Amino acid sequence: MNISRRSVLLGLGAAPLVWRAQRRPGRPRLAAICTTYFKYSHAQHIVDRFLEGYGWNGTHHHPAMDLVSIYIDQVGADDVSQTRLREFPSMRLYPSIAEALTLGGSALAVDGVVLVGEHGRYRRNEKGQTLYPRYEFFQQIVKVFTDSGRSVPVFNDKHLSWSWDWAKEMYDTSRRMGFPLMAGSSLPVTWRTPSVEMPLGARIREAVCVGYGGVDSYDFHGLETLQGMVERRRGGETGVKWLQAYRGDAFWKAHQEGVWPKDLVEAALCRSHTLKPARAGFNDTLPGPDEMRTLVKDPVAYRYAHQDGLMCTMLLLGGLVEDFNFAAHVDGHPGVFSTQMYLPMPPGRTTLANFFSPLVNNFEQMYLTGKETIPVERTLLTTGLTAAGIESLFRQQARFDTPHLAIPYQPTKASTFWRT
Amino acid sequence: MAMKRIAVVATVYRYLSHAQHIGDRFLVGYPWNGAWHRPDMKVVSLYVDQKPEGDQSAARASEFGFEVYPSIAAALRCGGTRLAVDAVLVIGEHGDYARNEKGQVLYPRYEFVKQCVEVFEHDGLAVPVYNDKHLSYSFDRAKWMVDASKRLSFPMLAGSSLPVTWRLPDIDLPLDCEIEGALMVGYGGADVMDFHGLEALQCMVERRKGGETGVRAVQMIQGDAVWTAGDAGRYPRDLLVSALSRSDTPQGQTIVDGRTQDLVAKGELPRLVKSPAAYFIEYRDGLKATLLMLDGAVKDFTFAARVNGAGVQSTQFFLSPEPNVTYSACLVSKIEEMFQTGKAPYPVERTLLVSGILESCLTSRFAGQKRLETPHLDVRYRAPRQSQHART
Repeated sequence: MNISRRSVLLGLGAAPLVWRAQRRPGRPRLAAICTTYFKYSHAQHIVDRFLEGYGWNGTHHHPAMDLVSIYIDQVGADDVSQTRLREFPSMRLYPSIAEALTLGGSALAVDGVVLVGEHGRYRRNEKGQTLYPRYEFFQQIVKVFTDSGRSVPVFNDKHLSWSWDWAKEMYDTSRRMGFPLMAGSSLPVTWRTPSVEMPLGARIREAVCVGYGGVDSYDFHGLETLQGMVERRRGGETGVKWLQAYRGDAFWKAHQEGVWPKDLVEAALCRSHTLKPARAGFNDTLPGPDEMRTLVKDPVAYRYAHQDGLMCTMLLLGGLVEDFNFAAHVDGHPGVFSTQMYLPMPPGRTTLANFFSPLVNNFEQMYLTGKETIPVERTLLTTGLTAAGIESLFRQQARFDTPHLAIPYQPTKASTFWRT
Repeated sequence: MAMKRIAVVATVYRYLSHAQHIGDRFLVGYPWNGAWHRPDMKVVSLYVDQKPEGDQSAARASEFGFEVYPSIAAALRCGGTRLAVDAVLVIGEHGDYARNEKGQVLYPRYEFVKQCVEVFEHDGLAVPVYNDKHLSYSFDRAKWMVDASKRLSFPMLAGSSLPVTWRLPDIDLPLDCEIEGALMVGYGGADVMDFHGLEALQCMVERRKGGETGVRAVQMIQGDAVWTAGDAGRYPRDLLVSALSRSDTPQGQTIVDGRTQDLVAKGELPRLVKSPAAYFIEYRDGLKATLLMLDGAVKDFTFAARVNGAGVQSTQFFLSPEPNVTYSACLVSKIEEMFQTGKAPYPVERTLLVSGILESCLTSRFAGQKRLETPHLDVRYRAPRQSQHART
């Protein structure tokens, strides 16, 4: 399955074509390219919404498109794709990515590609990164585009790749070939409690996200939470100059010394719906410093400086919270600007991971209009930040300069989070 | 101004009881408006009717420096001879109390408030009272409680967290809108969770044109008759689809393999819901509303209404997870507001009406699921102009 990056590059270089995504009349047809498909895997959440529909805008919405082909890299004992294929004969399983895109023929035969490279058994490298084959899948998709002389919109779930170089290449390829590309996490588009948006052009002085989960997984969600808000600041996004990670004792020392603003951490905690009570018999208490330290066994922070000077800190406080909360000092806003990016999270609290609905709805629009609803540069940047955080941790928490993350872009004027 | 002094009058005070959820927030503070808010008030006395295993009354009293008194009067007078508090929290939920033949738990809320009122009358002074959930299992008693608050001019607030919690999406019906039909979907048992569903429904429909004018008749039906009534158009199918589209907790196949489901179109409801119940409410101004308790199909509370000129409006009343149940912080902020300002942020008549609707529905069920005229539910009030649910 490993393909040579070099050969693909050479292949691409040989074809000077204009591949504007061309809309064909009728309902768009989609191909799903997935690592694996089990209950509560990202592929299940995403693909099912095309097959079964989902609650949207107060009705049960069926996307105006057909997911007609699927490639699944790993079929495990917990697979549920087989039942889907039986129930939805309009969706066919293909043994390769190329065949899923060509529907077994010789040329691209779908109008959009859904790439879900999350979950599944893949090797981890020495830095702890799971080597999900998103880049490899993407290259195979692009090869079909190239061979067919036509390209179509692609959605890539979560970050583009564990490797910054590969992510950048994926982005550059989409720009060069001119096909719409969307990517990222549900965090920027899910419900917020309260349902507030960062005003466009706000002067943000500093921002934090308090979340939970592990490095190389939920850190990306925390970074997307932050980026979905701070990109709306005055001047738009400018990119990131450097990042430093903190973990263990170094984290607590930095927290104690106020390396990141404690009042923002407290404000974020006050938006949580899952604040672990430090004392038995109490159901909702604000933890003191010692209690925080008792509850959080493996704290992680990524603190980073944007090119325009904005400082952001993404904190993973597993053991204390199980949600993602944002807080910022914003000029002109009384007190702290804060909200929770609410994830209805199964199986404990809900049965459906409905935060996938606004994500699917956003890229669904791309398949209909050929236009990205959210700039993919956001996820290019958060992909790079995730890798930079892991790199800093790998280098004993040394500050890591990120000149490659000078990624300027402008946010959409309209809000894209779930509020209807 | 001196710090307000609060008496807590509760059935039980143990972990995750309503008294603990609500009472503790006055002791340790709570998250509100993005900060940890500590009320400028002090709990000075507590009465608990029962001390089951896990009772926390003595431990809380000793940690937070107040007394547990053996009677409600003593709690309100802090052991002295005159009313010695500025506000009373009456929390008559949880605890071991009998059920009557209609299935109502006979929580002693009326008895608790009556004893408070006796102290107020005897001492010639009355203070604000918050009563948790419905006022009483009996409308007559609930009416007496509200009348007492009018007679003695003390502010009264009652009800549950549903009307004030977060909504997904964050909507309210426009004040003075014309509602053409309303439907609430909930889950859980009769005389417990149905109250929450009815109250959530009421806080939405009370905003209609002309304000609340009361309820003419109710009927509660159970079993397959609920599906038959739906097929006959007694509750609108599009509103049911809309309410369920707001649910995050469909059961059945979603539990099996995680999939999304259109429960209505796929005909799943009769398969999933073994004991459905419908509460039909005919308002005096002609509005018809329905609460469907669909235990087995969902585990959340969702609402849909058809509004003239605005189409179908729908939302979920978000019950955030245990143990934080941050929705109760939304409620406590309203209670605190009344204690602080002496004004109830929304009318207690809402809860009076809902108490009466619930009682009459359970009576209807007991009387062979017959439609019952409810001339006594001539409860009129206006909704607050400002939305009261959590949104900041």
